[in-house]
Amino acid sequence: MNKTYYICKYTPVELLTALGGDCGILNTMPRGFELAEQIAHPNICGFGKTLLEAVLEGQVKELVLVNCCDTIRSVCDVLEDSGKLDFLYMLDILHSSGACSRERTAAQLKGLARAYSAYKGTAFDPEKFREAFRRPERIKGPHLKVLGARMGEELFSMVQKLMPLPVENASCVNNRSVGSLMPPEERDFDRLMDWYAGELLCQPPCMRMMDHAGRKQLYNDPDLKGIVYHTVKFCDFYSFEYADIKEHTDVPLLKIESDYTLQSSGQLMTRLEAFAETITPEETVGKEIKMGKGYFAGIDSGSTSTDVVILDKEKNMIAGIVLPTGAGAAVGAERALEEALKEAGLHREDIDALVTTGYGRTAIQAGDKSITEITCHAKGAHHLDPDVRTVVDIGGQDSKVIRIDENGAVENFVMNDKCAAGTGRFLEMMARTMEMDLDDMSETGLTYKEDITISSMCTVFAESEVVSLIAQNKETDDIVHGLNKAVATKTAALAKRVGGQEKYMMTGGVSKNKGLVKTLEEKLGTSLVIHKDAQLCGALGAALFALEMTDTRA
Amino acid sequence: MEIVKTFGEYVEKWSGPAPERARKLLKTGWEAQYLKLKLRPDKRLLPSDQYAARMMMDTMLKPLKDPSHSALVSIFTPCEMLHEAGLHPYNVEAFSCFLNGSRAERVFLQQAENEGLSETLCSYHKTFIGAADRGVMPRPRCIVYTSLACDANLLTFSRLGEKFQVPVFAIDVPFHGDKDSVAYVEEQLIRLKGFLEEVSGKKIPEESLKERLARSRRTLRNYRRYQKERASRYVPADLVTPLYSGMTNNILLGTEAEERYTRMLLRDIKKAGPARGKRIYWMHTIPFWSEAVRNELCFSENAQIVGCELAQTFRGDFDPESPYEAMAKRLVYHSLNGNASRRIENGIRCAREAGADGAVWFNHWGCKHTLGIAQLAKKKFEEEGIPLLLLDGDGCDRSHGGEGQTATRLGAFLEMLGGETHE
Repeated sequence: MNKTYYICKYTPVELLTALGGDCGILNTMPRGFELAEQIAHPNICGFGKTLLEAVLEGQVKELVLVNCCDTIRSVCDVLEDSGKLDFLYMLDILHSSGACSRERTAAQLKGLARAYSAYKGTAFDPEKFREAFRRPERIKGPHLKVLGARMGEELFSMVQKLMPLPVENASCVNNRSVGSLMPPEERDFDRLMDWYAGELLCQPPCMRMMDHAGRKQLYNDPDLKGIVYHTVKFCDFYSFEYADIKEHTDVPLLKIESDYTLQSSGQLMTRLEAFAETITPEETVGKEIKMGKGYFAGIDSGSTSTDVVILDKEKNMIAGIVLPTGAGAAVGAERALEEALKEAGLHREDIDALVTTGYGRTAIQAGDKSITEITCHAKGAHHLDPDVRTVVDIGGQDSKVIRIDENGAVENFVMNDKCAAGTGRFLEMMARTMEMDLDDMSETGLTYKEDITISSMCTVFAESEVVSLIAQNKETDDIVHGLNKAVATKTAALAKRVGGQEKYMMTGGVSKNKGLVKTLEEKLGTSLVIHKDAQLCGALGAALFALEMTDTRA
Repeated sequence: MEIVKTFGEYVEKWSGPAPERARKLLKTGWEAQYLKLKLRPDKRLLPSDQYAARMMMDTMLKPLKDPSHSALVSIFTPCEMLHEAGLHPYNVEAFSCFLNGSRAERVFLQQAENEGLSETLCSYHKTFIGAADRGVMPRPRCIVYTSLACDANLLTFSRLGEKFQVPVFAIDVPFHGDKDSVAYVEEQLIRLKGFLEEVSGKKIPEESLKERLARSRRTLRNYRRYQKERASRYVPADLVTPLYSGMTNNILLGTEAEERYTRMLLRDIKKAGPARGKRIYWMHTIPFWSEAVRNELCFSENAQIVGCELAQTFRGDFDPESPYEAMAKRLVYHSLNGNASRRIENGIRCAREAGADGAVWFNHWGCKHTLGIAQLAKKKFEEEGIPLLLLDGDGCDRSHGGEGQTATRLGAFLEMLGGETHE
């Protein structure tokens, strides 16, 4: 028998079961949208495309939708036109839960019941209806919650694996609460549907409801120790709730965005790990290694450069190396470590503990522990200047803003979206377009005359904008200043989102770019601390963690 | 253009630190524009379209001059009762458009994104939210919106209600078009009457409302007749007039000014010359700021826009003697409500009536409904013999760029259709 898939918590699953259906949530993430993008525009939400993909692949033959949003409504039209489904039905759930709405919902339920029983050739079974009601399971005791737009099964499993506490998926369809009450002993179908419509509508409201104040019950919970707030690219509903929650909650909050494919997990993993580290900072500092010669190393394996710092037990930096990463993270790390040992006049066995960080941290086998670059940058920055409360790190692949407390622990952080705009790579690409190296670029934008705005935020379009500015004979200084302004605006926006406070420190290779630093200072309205060892900040943090994991009393 | 750019820069710069000053500047700039439209209108346009430009500018100025007698509305909110209650429609989408036209949108878009709103949210909504948060948009008396056509309505207006701390009335429009849906909306509109009477302190006389609905009916009929008569005529067109028709045919529907506009259109079209050049029917909003679109379609005899979906969203009839039911019907059987086929078929019919050679389906970034059914629309239009170009872009945010791509796509489409310089 085919499964009847559904996607929304307002779906009358119990009714479909009572009519002989075997129901399941469609919530698996595909590898890509090859088929979907043949019949739909790429700029619709990933879940909409997931639905199309699943139907076109032939996985789904029966589908009951709700008019959740513009995307789902459109997807329903496209699916209907495709003729690929044996049963497709869309319920018109209103945007309010008042008495009129309940009446209309009951009518909708009866309409669906007629269509579904005609399709299945079955009749409503009141016993099956009662049996289908199951009390939703909720986690008791300290836990984390995933909120926001629907999170696919695979991503949720990853979250569960990485978090130090049990995690409840309370996103979208997963916070369905029907089943808390059993249906009345009522044999009259119409009256039963009236009761059932009320049950469906009185769930914690979805963001598509006109009054969504009741959603607070999802996160006003004393046992809630952290929120992973998930949004799906091209779904706007939940960004409004996120904007509101981040202003009003004291619970640690991480926002992640996926496009509902499996590929994005790499970048999300770093964020999730860093978030897990903020929830249990003590776990990252265990006294696990006995001290030997008293030297500690940190390797920061970034997409552009690999940095190594070696500290002695007094926390003096005795070596600091920056080398291009090259083709492989492990080889690059090995090479940089050798260089650092040479600079310090040490051998590998003199290093008591080694912590790896950065994008390539897990590829390096040599380390005793790997910690995310977010936690390491915070640690390093705090060591360089204990008054720093906000760290701005513009790296090659991503940019991030980290808010830290007086002990150097991460309080909050944000990273740029999956897009090169606002990263070091953006500046590199633009430097290439303008046929200059990054050092030239650093000085060039300082003395500009015309205040040019590069309006395209997309790297590809920005590049063509730069080409046309060059064609218009605009001054190089003015163009570079425009580019700096584009990156600074994006970075300042991240700082605002994380609630950045003074003092600000800028770390990472881009901190050497004087023009950008100046523009970013203007945007932030404050000065940036640029330490001479700014580029080594992540590696320094890692070396400090290496020192802390060693029992120095030995 | 440089004056406008500098003007926009100052509006953006003063917003936030000195919002009152920014608003005053905006008002002064728009008043100057109104004066220009009055004293030195663009003579290339038909007199009726010159009138529409003034009428639109006046509609924009009213909420700035007198916000306490203005109601913030979404584009498809039926506004007849607002006018009866002496409240000016203060339309979010139109304000964002005009801010963009004044080159003051970037800072507002950025402001909204800084607060955590997604970059994929419709730029018409984002611009207004950002401008409101930076203090440029004045506090209205109340807010009235519908769930119709766009998910962003459900989010933007409740957020603005909290921001401005004013009463909000939401009209929920069911997806299915049937009698029950009409009755459901009608009941809400009857409640809206009470709401408006209470916030404005002004009674809405039933007879006067009926007369107004009769005017709405005449206006819609006039406009449709004009579009049909236009099929054999050449109307010099810029990129904003079709949008003005879209805006005024919604928020000013039922006013004497809008009826007068449609009567003028019917008068002018009789004097217009025979049709020439390629004729494009436009689906969804028009990126009037785009140089690439302007080069091809603005006051061009080779190709021009002959109609815009937003000005023709209801084809049915209604009885003005039952005013609430009449307005409810317009919402439930709105071309952007219900299945995609309703919207697409309406587009095909309107394109045909206006004698279009082809149509552009503008994939406004952020409009999920338009994007979602774009391919389906292409298939259906072309099955009916109307070539359709899917054009990606943004109606209200310059930073989406891609001007080169727009120029190539639009240019190639017009070449494909043929024409004097496109053979």
